[in-house]
Amino acid sequence: MLSFALTVLLDGISYGMILFLISVGLTVTMGLMRVVNLAHGSFAMIGGYVAGYITQRGGNFYVAALAAALAAALLGALAEVTIYRPLYRKGELSQVLLTIGIVFVMTGTITEIFGAFPYPVVFPDYLTKPIDIGFREYPGYRLFLIAVGAVVAAALWFLVENSIYGARLRAAVDNARMARAVGMDVSVLFMGTFVVGSALAGFGGALGAGILSLEPSYALKYIVLFLVVVAVGGEGSFQGSFVAAMALGIIDTVGKYFAPQAAAYLLYAAVFLLLLWRPKGLLPPKSVA
Amino acid sequence: MPAASDLPTSAARAPHWTSRLALLGHALPWVIAIVYYFTADYYLSFGTQVMIWILFAMSLDLALGYAGILTLGHAAFFGVGAYGAGLFAIYVSPDPLLGHLAAIGLCAVLGVVTGAMVLHTTGVTLLMLTLAIVSVISEYANQANDLTGGDNGLQGMKLAPIFGRFEFNLFGQTAYVYTLIVLFIWFLIAWRIVHSPFGRSLDGIRQNPRRMRAIGTPVWWRLLAIYTISGAMAGSAGALSAHSTSFVGLSVLNLLTSGIVTVVLILGGVRRIYGAFIGATIYFVVQDYTAKISPFFWEFVVGGMLIATVLFLEGGLMDIGNVVRRLLRRRHGEEGR
Amino acid sequence: MKRLILATAAAVSALSAGAASADVVKVGLIASYTGAFATWGTQFQQATEAYQATHGNTVKGPDGKEHEIQFVYRDSASQGPDKAKQLAEELILREHVKFITGLELSPYAMALADISQQAKVPVVIENAATSSITRMSPYFVRVSQTVAQDVAPMGKWAFDHGIKKAYVIVSDYAPGYDAEAYFIKFFKAAGGEIVGSARTPQQETNFSAYMERVLQAKPDALYMFQPAGSPSVAFVRAYVERGLKAAGIKLLGGGETQQLFLPNFTDDVIGTVTSFHYTETNTNPANLELKAALKKKFGDKAEPDIASLAAWDGTMLIQQSVAALGSNAEGLKYIDFFKGKKWDSPRGPAMIDPVERDIIQNIYIRQVEKRDGKLVNIDIGKEEMVKDPWKIDNPPKSN
Repeated sequence: MLSFALTVLLDGISYGMILFLISVGLTVTMGLMRVVNLAHGSFAMIGGYVAGYITQRGGNFYVAALAAALAAALLGALAEVTIYRPLYRKGELSQVLLTIGIVFVMTGTITEIFGAFPYPVVFPDYLTKPIDIGFREYPGYRLFLIAVGAVVAAALWFLVENSIYGARLRAAVDNARMARAVGMDVSVLFMGTFVVGSALAGFGGALGAGILSLEPSYALKYIVLFLVVVAVGGEGSFQGSFVAAMALGIIDTVGKYFAPQAAAYLLYAAVFLLLLWRPKGLLPPKSVA
Repeated sequence: MPAASDLPTSAARAPHWTSRLALLGHALPWVIAIVYYFTADYYLSFGTQVMIWILFAMSLDLALGYAGILTLGHAAFFGVGAYGAGLFAIYVSPDPLLGHLAAIGLCAVLGVVTGAMVLHTTGVTLLMLTLAIVSVISEYANQANDLTGGDNGLQGMKLAPIFGRFEFNLFGQTAYVYTLIVLFIWFLIAWRIVHSPFGRSLDGIRQNPRRMRAIGTPVWWRLLAIYTISGAMAGSAGALSAHSTSFVGLSVLNLLTSGIVTVVLILGGVRRIYGAFIGATIYFVVQDYTAKISPFFWEFVVGGMLIATVLFLEGGLMDIGNVVRRLLRRRHGEEGR
Repeated sequence: MKRLILATAAAVSALSAGAASADVVKVGLIASYTGAFATWGTQFQQATEAYQATHGNTVKGPDGKEHEIQFVYRDSASQGPDKAKQLAEELILREHVKFITGLELSPYAMALADISQQAKVPVVIENAATSSITRMSPYFVRVSQTVAQDVAPMGKWAFDHGIKKAYVIVSDYAPGYDAEAYFIKFFKAAGGEIVGSARTPQQETNFSAYMERVLQAKPDALYMFQPAGSPSVAFVRAYVERGLKAAGIKLLGGGETQQLFLPNFTDDVIGTVTSFHYTETNTNPANLELKAALKKKFGDKAEPDIASLAAWDGTMLIQQSVAALGSNAEGLKYIDFFKGKKWDSPRGPAMIDPVERDIIQNIYIRQVEKRDGKLVNIDIGKEEMVKDPWKIDNPPKSN
C-alpha cells in the first residue's frame, strides 16, 4: 500500500517537474513584463524538436538537451527584440492576438519541416529501463526528471533569492516604475529574463518529450496547462509556480489512478476551486498579495 | 484608453460628408449580406457560418470588449446553445423557433449561474476560471454519450419548416435568411445597449472599476447583467449553428472554438460592434481561400495576418477605416485633432 | 419556394452533366492535413497520387470516351463533423464531384449520410471505422476496415496461446468502445477472464497511472486500443517503462505498431502481438507495387500505412467504376459496381460485401520482431475473409 502510494506520488512529482520547468519562464515574464504570452509553449516545442533532431541522428542526449535550451534562448532573444518589445505598451488583447498568431506560424513551420507524425526524442538506454529503488522497480526516466527538476529549481531559487539579479528581478516584478526610478536597466532585465525563461522552456520541452509528446499541435495543446500553473501559482511567483506545478501534477496523476473516467473533470474542478479559494494564486508575489 | 473613435461620430465637428459616409457604412454589411444571397452560387452555407460567427463574436464584444470580462469560456454558451437547440428538436419539438428560444433561455440561466460564481475575480484568474467551466462542460458532453452522441455528434435532428413554410434543405436558403434576421435583431439590441447609459457605465467599469464603485455604480450586478446577455447571444449563435447544419458536434464546446472567436473579435477590433463583422468575415474568407491552396499554408497566412494586424493596426482591422480617415483629413487640409 | 428549389436542382444537375461531358470526373477527398489528425490527409493524398502516377489518371468509358479522374482535396483540419459536412456541400454544389472519399474519422462519415442521399453522391469511405456507418446511407461503401473486424480474431488467439487473464485499456471514444466490446466478447467466449479495464482520455499521452493499476492486477496480457499517433506511441513506451514487460505481461493490440510508428520505439516493443488487416512487410505483388510507387514519387522515406492502403484501393475502384459505367451514371449504379467486387489488394485478398457494402478481408496476427536491424511486424497467423462481427450480431432489419 505504501509502495503504491509512493509510486503515485513519484509519478505526480515527475510530471510536475516538467510543468514547472516549462511554466516558470511564463510566470516570471507574465509577472515581470505583464505580457500575456500564449506562444510560450512554442519555445518548449522548439527545444523538443531540436533535441529530437539531434538524438535521432545518434547525438548525445545531454548535448541535445543543452542545444535545445540554447536554440530556445536564441529564438527568445530574437523574438523579444523584434516582436515582444512593441507589445509591452499595447493592451492584453493585442498580446493575445499576436502571440496566437505566433503559435499558428510556429505550428505551420513545424508541420512543414518535420511533418505531422509524433517526433520522438531518443533517450539514452539507461533512462528507458526501470530502476530498482528498493521496494520496487521504477522508470529511470521519471527519477531523472525529478533529479534534474530539483537541481534546476534549487539553482533558480538560489538565484532569485540570493543574487543581485534575483533582487532586481523581484523588485521589478513588484514595481517596475519604481525600479526604473532607482536606475535599474529594466529593459536589459526583461530581455535577460525572457531569454532565461525561454531556455528553461526549451530544456523542459526536450526533457519532457516522454510525457508531453512532440507534435505540431504541441504549443496549442499544452499552453492551457502552463497557464493554469501560472494562474494557480500566482503570476510572477517563482515559488508559486513550483508549488502549483507539483499540486497539479499530483492531482492529475492521482485522479487518473483512482477515477480514470472522472480524471479530466477532477483536474479542472480542482483548478476551479483552488482559484476561487485563492484568486491571486497560492503564493503570489508580495506586491500583489 | 478610450479613443475618440470609440464614440459615435460626433456630428457637431465633422463635416457633412462624413456623416453621410457613416450612414452608408452602417448600411453596408446588410447590403452585402443581401447581395450575397443572390450571388452566392451554392456557397450560401459558407455565408451562414460567417454570420453565425459574427453573432458569436459580437456577443463576446459585449462581455470582453466593453465590459472587460476576460473570458476563455465563451464556447460554453455557444455549445450549450447548440446542444440545447439540438436536443430540444429531438426530444421536445421540431419547431426551430421554439428550440431557439429554449436555447437562449438555457444560456441565460448558465450565464447567471456561472457569472455569479466567477465575476468577482479579474485577470488571469478569471480567465482560468472560465476555462475550467467550459472544460468541465465539454468533458461532460463527451462522456454523456447517450445524450449527446459523444464524438460522433448529435444524430437525428429533423427540423420542422419555419412558420410551417420555409424548410431547411441542402441549398441552405432558409438557414441563411433565418440567420441574417436573427443577426440583425441581436445587432439592434447590442447597439442599443452599447449606446445607453448602461453601456457607458460598462466602459467605465472596464477602465476603472474602483472609481465606478466609488461613485455608487453597482459594478458586480452590471457585470452579471452584461455577462448574461452576452451568454444568451452566444447561445443564440449556437442554436443557429445547430439549426443550419442539422448537426451538433463536440467542437462547439472546444477550447479552440473559444480561442477562434477571441481571435476573430480582436482581429476585427473590439468595442466597435462592427469589429465582429469584419473580423469574422476576413478570418474565414482568408482561411477558406488559403486552405484550398495548401492546408499548411493557411496557418502561416492567418498567423502572419494576426501578427501584422497587431504590429501595424492599433485597434484591429476596423482601424483601417481610421487610417483612411486620417489620410483623407490630411489631404483635405483640416486641423488634425 | 419549392419551384425555386427544383429549378436550382435541375440547374445543378444540368451543370454537372455539362461538366462531365468535358470528360473530367471530379472526386472530392476530405481528410485532415492539420491539427491532431494531420497525418491522414497527406497519406491519403500521396497514395492517391502514387496510384495515378502508376496507372494513369484517365480511363476509357464504355462508350469509348476518355475520362480524366481528378481529385479535389479539402482539409477538415481535425475539426468537427460539421466541417466535413460543410466541405462536402461545397464539393458537391460547387465542384460538382461525382464521388466523395477520404474521411479518416467516423463522425465525418456519419455527418455525410443525409447529404449523400439528398445529392445522390457515392461516398467511398477510406478509414472511418465504426461498424454501423455503412448502414446509414445506401450511398456509403467502405474499402478500409472496421474496428470490430480488426479486433475479432485477437481474443481467441490470445486464449489459445496461453493467455488466461487479460486487462483491457482503450481510448475513450467510439472506436475504443468497439475494440473493448469485441476483444472481451471473443476472449471470454474462448474461456478467458477479464481482470480489469479502463478508458483513457482521447489524446492522452501520460499513462503512468493506468500502467500502475495493470501491474497491481497481474494479468497475463494487456490489450490496448489507442489512436495511432502520439497516444499509441506513448502507451507502448509506458508499458515498457513501467516494467510491465519485465513482469511478464504480454502486450496485445491492433494498429499501434504499424511500420510507420515502429521507429518511435526501442527494442522493448519486440514481442508485441497485434491483429490487423495490413502487414506492411507482406510480399503480395500489389503491396510491392504500392511501396515502389510511393518511393518513386515521394522518395525513399515514404512508407505506406493503412491510409495509403485504403486510398490506393479506393482510387483503383473509383477509376474502375468510371471505366465500367462512364461518367454520367446514377450514384447508386456506381455503388452497385462496388458490391461483390473482389480484388487483390496490397493487404491480401479483399471483397466488398454485396449486402452491407462493407469490406471483407483477411485479418493477420503479427508479432513485432527485429529483422536486419530493423523493427518489423511478422505474420504469425491469420483469419481469412473476416466479415465485420457487428454486422453479424446486428442483422439488418430490412434492406
